[in-house]
Amino acid sequence: MASKNILVKVNSLTRIFDVSKPWLNRILEREKKQFLRAVDDVSFSIIEGESFALVGESGSGKSTVAKMVVGLLDPTKGSIIIDNIDISDKNKKEELRKLRAEIQMIFQDPFASLNPRWRVDKIIAEPLKSFKLEKSEKQISARVDELLSLVGLDASDGRKFPHEFSGGQRQRICIARALASKPKFIVCDEPTSALDVSVQAQILNLMRDLQDEFGLTFLFISHDLSVVRHMANHVGVMYLGRIVEIANPKVLFENPQHPYTRMLLDAIPDLEMSNKERKPIEGEIPNPIDPPSGCTFHPRCPYADEECKIKIPAPINIKGIMVACHGVARGRIPAKQ
Amino acid sequence: MSENILDVIDLSVEIPTRHNILKPVDGLNFNIKRGEILGVVGESGAGKSMAGNAIIGLLERPAHIADGEIWLNKKRIDNLPAESMRKIRGKEIGMIFQDPLTSLNPLLPIGEQLTETIIEHLKISKKEALDRAITLLEEVRIPAATQRINAYPHQFSGGMRQRVVIALALAAEPSLVIADEPTTALDVSVQAQIISVLKKICKERGTAIMLITHDMGVIAESADRVAVMYSGQIVEIGKTYNIIKKPRHPYTVGLMGSIPALKGDNERLVQIPGSMPRLNNIPPGCSFHPRCEKAFEPCYNKRPLLSKIGDSKVACWLYDEGYKNG
Ligand SMILES: Nc1ncnc2c1ncn2[C@@H]1O[C@H](COP(=O)(O)OP(=O)(O)OP(=O)(O)O)[C@@H](O)[C@H]1O
Ligand SMILES: Nc1ncnc2c1ncn2[C@@H]1O[C@H](COP(=O)(O)OP(=O)(O)OP(=O)(O)O)[C@@H](O)[C@H]1O
Ligand code: SF4
Ligand code: SF4
Ligand SMILES: [Mg+2]
Ligand SMILES: [Mg+2]
Repeated sequence: MASKNILVKVNSLTRIFDVSKPWLNRILEREKKQFLRAVDDVSFSIIEGESFALVGESGSGKSTVAKMVVGLLDPTKGSIIIDNIDISDKNKKEELRKLRAEIQMIFQDPFASLNPRWRVDKIIAEPLKSFKLEKSEKQISARVDELLSLVGLDASDGRKFPHEFSGGQRQRICIARALASKPKFIVCDEPTSALDVSVQAQILNLMRDLQDEFGLTFLFISHDLSVVRHMANHVGVMYLGRIVEIANPKVLFENPQHPYTRMLLDAIPDLEMSNKERKPIEGEIPNPIDPPSGCTFHPRCPYADEECKIKIPAPINIKGIMVACHGVARGRIPAKQ
Repeated sequence: MSENILDVIDLSVEIPTRHNILKPVDGLNFNIKRGEILGVVGESGAGKSMAGNAIIGLLERPAHIADGEIWLNKKRIDNLPAESMRKIRGKEIGMIFQDPLTSLNPLLPIGEQLTETIIEHLKISKKEALDRAITLLEEVRIPAATQRINAYPHQFSGGMRQRVVIALALAAEPSLVIADEPTTALDVSVQAQIISVLKKICKERGTAIMLITHDMGVIAESADRVAVMYSGQIVEIGKTYNIIKKPRHPYTVGLMGSIPALKGDNERLVQIPGSMPRLNNIPPGCSFHPRCEKAFEPCYNKRPLLSKIGDSKVACWLYDEGYKNG
């Protein structure tokens, strides 16, 4: 195996949104400013050629991490280092410009992210032109044809418009566009959530093939744990803006450590039809504007104690698993049966 | 043998357009028994919602029932005038849609919405209706229902809102509930709560439930039987266990194989090539044939009908005695 080279390193990433009412309302209603910590002290790294997945329920901060990693949103705190370049380092204009071509993003809604008035060949050629990657029109058109066939479409599809394609085909167009600039790193935010399982299977297979062929590195975001298990080398579980556990998917699914991970896994409807009696799930996700103190999972956690209510648990490492939980650290959580 | 709450016979829905007539639902046959959950699955555009809307009489024009019969509690309902159908909806058939906000009035406290519906259908006093509303909210596991009866929809989380919608759908004790993707917009943890509520009311009240979804996991957890739809038709229907563990129709086989597993090795996913045909371009014969690797001579021009194979019913020439042995 080749040496394990870290391509992406995220350090203590934090993003706070100001969600206050307008100034006048605040004065009249005597309200304080309100802040929402969408992402709180998130750290992880991704090895070149591997896939790192973020899972978690709606509002846990997955997309906010993704947007910061591709530079669409500035972090409040923390750093992102890609290919040894800190992407917030304003002194490295030239390197950053090059780096930008190496990072691409694929979104959930393949229709909203394609310009409906542009022909597909123009959509795919756009990054080639803006990054000045091919010189002549002829080279561009040859490359577009190549990209279309790479994602399983026909060269003649380039002359059509997005609305002439099904959801799965549109996502293929997005992937072709993302591949145009020969990126090293692709951030995929729920790339198959809007698709049927049969079409999802086509897209997931395609993404794995492309990864094998070009050694691509993925940050893969999904709320579907079975998809994540299928795609990722490492999985980070998010809850209310924090990563509570990182493990490889096999370990995570067979031996989840954090009580939240366990609850999440218990909730997945399974096709085994084992007829197991499920524990009803406790409570709801708390209001992110006024999250619980200490470990934010404590109101729903069956193992919470006094320490959990006051102290944020620090991540610890056990046998290659990163987990942030007082209960686990103190050996209070029974092994999963 | 338990009685059928719903009987759907040869149901077809048509949409006339300038060029031709589209058939989003094409000859459906199924029934749902008292206390039974029938799952309806299939890819986007298969006609699941159209079928559900046809049953509750909510097809949007120009779509209309072109053929077939719908019987609810041994009473034919597909040919009723709009006004009688409106009375049946809410009273005898409850509805739950994907987006809870479409079913709730944002300006009214949920208690008022519930009592209004209860009084409209059950003719009981305001006080009795209020008690009933609280019981209903408790039944769908809204914590502290008595305190929350005056809350507005926006004060509830997505999962709680969907539970209020379920309470609303149950308000008049309907014998049939049609739930169209009731958990699709929700997180797994909330989804699990909704499924358990649906199962509970089905068991405790004997309500028949038509559960439309494209999530096989949800079906596996809740349905007694499953109907698999493909381009407007049922291609396979049978006990949930058989559909999931022993699928027979090549489309069902592909559908089951395309779901990433939660256990075992990360094998390549089974891929059904291509996508579902558009309504203006339904292939002749078995409409699945362009995507079917088992397709053979009769498939190209003869339409297979649902016929009994073991415990299930399957519409595929592979299982036809006449063709089986060549
Ligand atoms: N621009 C913004 N302004 C204010 N709050 C925001 C903004 N963007 C996101 N948030 C909030 O930050 C939190 C995290 O949102 P994010 O979109 O990252 O979640 P997510 O994990 O991607 O969820 P989903 O699965 O629903 O996509 C949410 O509470 C969200 O409401
Ligand atoms: N007004 C209309 N005119 C023409 N075609 C329509 C109209 N409304 C729906 N259709 C088509 O009818 C077919 C069945 O649609 P339906 O909404 O029942 O599918 P579905 O199985 O519920 O899919 P989904 O999983 O996406 O909800 C689709 O091909 C759809 O495009
Ligand atoms: S830190 Fe405490 S409350 Fe949080 S998950 Fe661990 S045991 Fe539960
Ligand atoms: S009838 Fe023929 S084409 Fe249709 S599913 Fe069966 S084998 Fe395939
Ligand atoms: Mg998101
Ligand atoms: Mg639908």
